[in-house]
Amino acid sequence: MEKKRIDDYEPGPLPSPRQLDRFGFVKQEIHNSQDGLTKGRSAYEFDREERRVRNWRKMIGVGGSDWKHYVRRKPHVVKRRIRKGIPDCLRGLVWQLISGSRDLLLMNPGVYEWLGLFKSAVILSNHKSQVVEVDPQLVIYETSASELDIIRDISRTFPSHVFFQQRHGPGQRSLYNVLKAYSVYDRDVGYVQGMGFLAGLLLLYMSEEDAFWLLVALLKGAVHAPMEGLYQVGLPLVQQYLSLFDRLVKEHMPKLGEHFTQEMINPSMYASQWFITVFSYSFPFHLALRIWDVFLYEGVKIVFKVGLALLKYCHDDLVKLPFEKLIHALRNFPEDAMDPDTLLPMAYSIKSTEVSCANQLIKTWTRIEFLSSSSYPLEWKRAAMEERVGVLSSTFSMD
Amino acid sequence: MARTGNKNIQAKLVLLGDMGTGKTSMVLRFTKGQFFDFQESTIGAAFFTQVLSLNEATIKFDIWDTAGQERYHSLAPMYYRGAAAAVVVYDITSMDSFERAKKWVIELQRQGNPNLIMFLVGNKVDLEEKRKVGNEEAEQYAKENGLVFLETSAKTAQNVNELFYEIAKRLTKKVPSRPTGMKLHRRPQETGRRRQLPRFPQLFVRMLVYQIELHCGPSDLKIKAALNEK
Ligand SMILES: Nc1nc2c(ncn2[C@@H]2O[C@H](COP(=O)(O)OP(=O)(O)OP(=O)(O)O)[C@@H](O)[C@H]2O)c(=O)[nH]1
Ligand SMILES: [Mg+2]
Repeated sequence: MEKKRIDDYEPGPLPSPRQLDRFGFVKQEIHNSQDGLTKGRSAYEFDREERRVRNWRKMIGVGGSDWKHYVRRKPHVVKRRIRKGIPDCLRGLVWQLISGSRDLLLMNPGVYEWLGLFKSAVILSNHKSQVVEVDPQLVIYETSASELDIIRDISRTFPSHVFFQQRHGPGQRSLYNVLKAYSVYDRDVGYVQGMGFLAGLLLLYMSEEDAFWLLVALLKGAVHAPMEGLYQVGLPLVQQYLSLFDRLVKEHMPKLGEHFTQEMINPSMYASQWFITVFSYSFPFHLALRIWDVFLYEGVKIVFKVGLALLKYCHDDLVKLPFEKLIHALRNFPEDAMDPDTLLPMAYSIKSTEVSCANQLIKTWTRIEFLSSSSYPLEWKRAAMEERVGVLSSTFSMD
Repeated sequence: MARTGNKNIQAKLVLLGDMGTGKTSMVLRFTKGQFFDFQESTIGAAFFTQVLSLNEATIKFDIWDTAGQERYHSLAPMYYRGAAAAVVVYDITSMDSFERAKKWVIELQRQGNPNLIMFLVGNKVDLEEKRKVGNEEAEQYAKENGLVFLETSAKTAQNVNELFYEIAKRLTKKVPSRPTGMKLHRRPQETGRRRQLPRFPQLFVRMLVYQIELHCGPSDLKIKAALNEK
């Protein structure tokens, strides 16, 4: 049945370009064409944009050759520029540079193609790159289970985007290929609903293979804390993040926190998608992109900060609402709240000891994960790990 | 048995079932009269409200529409906890989704409240030619397990309103006749509070130590002292 669905080719009518916003999403009538930059731009603004792109090009060098050097020399300049938004024409390349996915790609030539050929006989075990022997029947069952899930979700990922809309068109095909490859590459995680939105977002800015390695970089933690915990059985990291977010709300907005407690609202009712898809699900696309720029450079703390900023912006309305209205409001923020140039500065200004603690915890975790899978002598490993945890614990007992 | 005083009932309703069975489509059909051939997958859960007026009462539904994939299972209890009614949905063209529905039923019977009204719904009856789950088979299963059974199509709207009316009717029967403001939310205070979410950062540090011990054997780390744990 599923097979047939894949084969019957239905080239649906393509919407005319005028019905699309500047990112390729079909405009909704209610959504009065306020998609960021389409507002009349003055010549001055245009010039400024040109200059910005030039600066960026200088910073990254040809094909990204100067990037690492620049980041090492002037990390603060890089951070500031990224916070203002990466120019759309360079976004795909810069994302690959800052996430470390470019390096992964270069270190693993041919692997992506190989994964695509993969049926199910041998499975590349995650990051240990060894061939594991598993009961072949089990493997076949597992891969095909992931595969069926992927197939069922393909046409349900960004269904209003012109690239992904066409049944079995290039968009849907590459989405399928990337997700399938990932599910083969990382059998423990496989395919989880939500990944499609990550992959979809990436595919609008880069090739399949590049998108695949960026997905790997994110989930396996090439630069920042690995995101795979968001998708593993039991969603351990989602639970951690949500409980941290809950505490942050209470720390930063005690009145709202109190109101939430009274109305029995907790973050899993509104914020789990924020973490699982990094705002790429049901948020305005131009805002999602700006968040991703910062996310890839600074890590998950920006997700916490944007979440807090949204609540802060709507604070005075939210504290008055009863349960149902509150839930509704938390899932449908007003358009002015979602303007990146308002929301992001607000997010940047949120300083929190808890957020930096969290970052530190996550860094330690990454380090320990790395050490434990390394081949250093056991005693040395143990000492190195214990030292890490010791440092961490002492920071906590200080406050 | 006409009653002059109109009851107001607020009830929490949860939809469970495999991914792609049509939970979101069914709710959208009921609350907005809409249907999309390509409905975006639900990540986490979605929330809807809808008011239904019967002769004897007005029912306000708080509807939690959950994500269907197995991996999201661990989030489900917080949505079905305290619910007055649960709708377990499967897709009549997929035997797997029916098996998954049975698992939900078992879980609800085991953990949910004994007064929970449970519905078993076979969706997508418009795809009759692709049917894999027989009507009688499901009906039989429902009967054995004390579930109300219906077949629906969110696409053609067949039986969708009937489903929610049926739920509403059964809810009104359950509620002792009191004039206003009945809440059928079992507010999850008691049950919810006991199962607290993991403590941050204590838990995190403990995980780290566990990781060390897993790889290098017992560790001397005095984490408990460092964190002043009781
Ligand atoms: N033919 C037919 N298709 C349906 C029907 N109900 C839903 N669909 C389609 O099935 C797909 C999945 O529907 P959803 O409502 O998103 O399913 P869901 O149960 O919410 O799925 P998750 O959010 O992934 O858990 C969508 O593409 C719908 O258009 C139906 O009654 N008949
Ligand atoms: Mg859904």
